[in-house]
Amino acid sequence: MMSIEKTSSKYEKPIPLKTIDNKPYWDAADQHELAIQSCEDCKRAIHPPGPACPHCGSPTIEWINYGSDVTGTIYSFVMTYVPMLPGFQHDLPTIIAQVEVDQMEGVRITANLINAAPEEVAIGKAVKMTWIDITEDRALPQWALMK
Amino acid sequence: MWDLSGKYAIVGVGESERSKNSGTTPLHLALQAARNAIEDAGLNAKDIDAFMSYSEHDSCTSHQLATYLGVRPRYVKDIMGGGSSTELLIADAVSLIESGQATAVLIFRSMNGRSGVRMGGGGWSTDLLQSAIEGGSFIIPYGMASPSQWFGMFATRHMYEANLTQEHLGHVCVSFYEHAQRNPKAMLHGKPLSMEHYLKTSHLSYPFTKHDFCLETDEANAIIVTSAERAKDCKSRPVFIKGIVAREAHPHAHYWSDLSQVAADYVGERIYENAGIQPEDLDVASIYDCYSWVVLRQLEAYKIASREGLGDFVAQGNLKMGGKLPSNTAGGMLSEGYTHGMNNVLEITRQLRHEYKGTERQVEGCELGLCTGWLGPDAAGAMILNN
Ligand SMILES: [Zn+2]
Repeated sequence: MMSIEKTSSKYEKPIPLKTIDNKPYWDAADQHELAIQSCEDCKRAIHPPGPACPHCGSPTIEWINYGSDVTGTIYSFVMTYVPMLPGFQHDLPTIIAQVEVDQMEGVRITANLINAAPEEVAIGKAVKMTWIDITEDRALPQWALMK
Repeated sequence: MWDLSGKYAIVGVGESERSKNSGTTPLHLALQAARNAIEDAGLNAKDIDAFMSYSEHDSCTSHQLATYLGVRPRYVKDIMGGGSSTELLIADAVSLIESGQATAVLIFRSMNGRSGVRMGGGGWSTDLLQSAIEGGSFIIPYGMASPSQWFGMFATRHMYEANLTQEHLGHVCVSFYEHAQRNPKAMLHGKPLSMEHYLKTSHLSYPFTKHDFCLETDEANAIIVTSAERAKDCKSRPVFIKGIVAREAHPHAHYWSDLSQVAADYVGERIYENAGIQPEDLDVASIYDCYSWVVLRQLEAYKIASREGLGDFVAQGNLKMGGKLPSNTAGGMLSEGYTHGMNNVLEITRQLRHEYKGTERQVEGCELGLCTGWLGPDAAGAMILNN
């Protein structure tokens, strides 16, 4: 499953930039876990993470770790046949899926749908989160079809 | 209704040569477009006291343009932005004149969009992209760096919910390409598109084929706005701003987080009340068309067709001449040329002046037109014009 990433000497694709607002998300991803920001006031989940709650403006936010068992259904997708960024020329079509996550309400996470043929992709299909080790200390969450 | 309805008008429109390789600078192109707009209005350059532009770091400045028109401007402003910036700046022009800061405003967009900085061009640092775009770290690592993908994500979901097929996207393309065949200045003049050919074209980025993408061209466009009072001195037939919604925004800067709504929905809620008309009163439209699907989504947002009726609306030929709402009658950005929307504003102005009268390009007797701007699902604006 991870053969392409493991055999290439250098990871050519963009590596997620950690920022003051998103660091816990990517730190958890590096551990093959999902962490999502949540508002302590209105209790709603927040994604992508930010400096405050976009639902109510509250500055009081916390992080909740959902572990490694994350599932969802495809909400929308695109399939791109030309590389838009470095590294994706090896990976065409690039399938990008936005997935409605089962473990929390109102969160849709966008990632590549890996190991899927274009004709297998459809709205409503069940997927699970999987993590690809892209460098020695970084991992990237991806979606895979539940077979 | 809007207090200033009918008190301001577009009195001049002009463009430069349009090509794939201008061989010159955006300043030269802007000068051509500005001189043509000034000539069209029957004004002198010195009658223009404010100059404004929008760009994506690919243009000249307003101050440069004014300088080489031989004018010391009272007011210059250059904003960053693409689609919907024309409407935004026209609303600004109205405010400037209303508040006595200016009397006649020239707005331009100049770009070597094919030979220079290309919108689909890439070459940006990926770290820069991640920090420049809200939530960029959550899309760039997945190869999602083009508007065709950002908007495409909305399109796939919306098409699923609205029962739209590839053929419906094709109807938008085929309709606009048909208009381009009546416009000798359109890039795709002489290159009509059949549905059969469209459906055989492969995807560049699903659900879009190359026909669903706008063109990239080198060109400049200019528009002159002044008061209805002042318009009486101009030689052109004024086209009045009946209503305008300068800009509305999606609830989240990371608009991909909610594919169920677009900024245009909020513009659609206000524009008709603002102009004091109903959608069914419209005779002609210029609908921002960076992608074919964007037209379908706006037909819904602007209440021209219901979500359930979108597919039938375009399949019945309602965007074509003789349809319910002939739209993008010069070919639009899909087949005429691309200046982030301003070329569509030029065309609707000419339609409302009845400039094509006696030819098959004229929308017979049109009086009311809708012009929409779409920066993306994140921001949009619109205006309603009348003659
Ligand atoms: Zn909150």
